[in-house]
Amino acid sequence: MLSMMAAQGLGIGVLQASTEALSSLQKEGAVFTDSMSIPSPGEVFAALNRSNRPNWATLVATATAPTTTDRQQMALAVGVLAANGYIAVEAQDGQQVKNIGKEINSLAKSLGVSQSLLGRGNSLMEFADHNEWDSLADELEATENEIKNTMVDQKDHDLVILTSVAAWLRGIEVASGVVLADEGLKGASALRQSELASHLAAQIHSLPGHTSEQPLVVAVGKTMDSIASLLNEQNIPAEKERINLQKILEDTGVLVGMILSSSDPTKAPGAANTTPSVTHSGKTP
Amino acid sequence: MRISPFVLLILGCFSSGLLTATAASPPKPSTNQYSNVVSALKTLRETEQAPSIEARRIALETANAFTNEGFRVRDGEWSPWISKNAPAFLQVTLFAGNRYWFVAATSVPGTKLRVSVYSAAGKPIKGEQWQDPQGKDCSRAAAGVAPEQSGEYIVGVEMLDAPGTSPVGSCLVYAYQ
Repeated sequence: MLSMMAAQGLGIGVLQASTEALSSLQKEGAVFTDSMSIPSPGEVFAALNRSNRPNWATLVATATAPTTTDRQQMALAVGVLAANGYIAVEAQDGQQVKNIGKEINSLAKSLGVSQSLLGRGNSLMEFADHNEWDSLADELEATENEIKNTMVDQKDHDLVILTSVAAWLRGIEVASGVVLADEGLKGASALRQSELASHLAAQIHSLPGHTSEQPLVVAVGKTMDSIASLLNEQNIPAEKERINLQKILEDTGVLVGMILSSSDPTKAPGAANTTPSVTHSGKTP
Repeated sequence: MRISPFVLLILGCFSSGLLTATAASPPKPSTNQYSNVVSALKTLRETEQAPSIEARRIALETANAFTNEGFRVRDGEWSPWISKNAPAFLQVTLFAGNRYWFVAATSVPGTKLRVSVYSAAGKPIKGEQWQDPQGKDCSRAAAGVAPEQSGEYIVGVEMLDAPGTSPVGSCLVYAYQ
C-alpha cells in the first residue's frame, strides 16, 4: 500500500533499507525536538479513530480560556485549547473550532505573542465555514506553532514546554477516557508513550526555579511523574491496566480543570496536595 | 563556499552577542569595525542557512504528494547538518495503526540520502524506501512505515554519497495517516 502511494505520488526509486542496528552512541545521540518528537493530538486521535471510532461530539469541551495574568497558566491553557480544537475538528463542530480559535488568539495577545497570528484567525473562520476539516487541523497546529515560535523569539522557552506538555496531557486525558469506555480496553496501545512521558516530566523538572516553583507547574510535574510511572507498567493484567488508566484519566482531568480555572487553580476542588482525585465535568465519557 | 556547522555556530553566537570578550581578550575593535564584521558574518551565515530553508521547501513539497492519499503533513521540521559517515538521528513517537512517511531533502543535487526508521532498541524497522538523488537542484529520500507497536522510535537521515565533503544542510518532515 505504501509503495503504491509512493509510485503514484512521487515516482518510484527503490533503495536498500538500512540493515545495521544503531550503536549505543547513535541511540543516545538521537535528538528530541518539540515540533517533531512530541506527537500532535491529531496523531493520537488518528490512531483512536482506527481502533475505537469514538463519538467525538460527546468529547467536545467548551472553549473558555482562564482569566488570569499568570503567564505559565496562559501557556498551559494554549496547549489545552489547541488539543480541544483537534477534538472539535474530529467532531466536525465548526462553531466550536471558531470559539477555540478566538480564545487562543486572546491568550496569545495577553502573552504578547499574537503578532504572527494576524492572518490565522481569518483562515480558521473561513475553513470552519466551508467545513474544510483537514485544513482546520493544519491551521490549528500552525497557530500553536506560531505562538511557540514567537515565545522562542522572545526568549520564553519555558512557556513552549508548558504549552506542549499541556496539549499532550489533554490528548492523554481524552485517549484514556476513550479506551476506558471499551470493555476490552481496545486502543490502549495509543497510550504506550512511557518514554515520552518520562522525557516531558524531566523537561518540566528542569525548568528554572521561578517557573518550576509556580504551584500549577509543580502540579503538572507531579502528574507527569505519576503518568510516566503508570505508563511504564507494561504487560500487566487487564484489571490493573484499567485501574492505571482510570488514575491517569482522573489526574489529567483535574489538572486540565486547574489549567482552565479562572480562580486560583491550586485551590480548586481536587487540587489539594496536587493529587487530583476527581474528573472535571463534561470532558470525558 | 561552505563552512562547518561548528564554525557557523561560533559565528552565530558571536554575531548575536552570546560570545562576549573576556578579561584576557585582545583589544576590542572600534564600533564601526565591529558592526562591519558582524554584518559580514550575518550575511555569510544567512547565505549558509539558505540551503536549509530550500531543503525545507523541497521536503514539504515532496511530503505534500501524500496528502492526496489522506496523509496529513505535520507542521514542524528538523534541519540537521549531515555529511558522509555522520548521519543524524531524531526521536519520534509513532502509533500502531497509523502510517507514516518521513521525507528528507537537501538543496544539493547529487547527494544520495537515505531515511531509516529504527525501534527504540536501535533495530531497523521494515518499510518502504524511496529516493530521488538526481532531482533538479535537489536530492530527496523518504521512508514509509506502518508500526505494529506504539512507542518511541528513532529516525535516521544519512548521506550515502555526495559531490563534496562538506556538511550539507538537510530537512526532515513527516506525514501521517
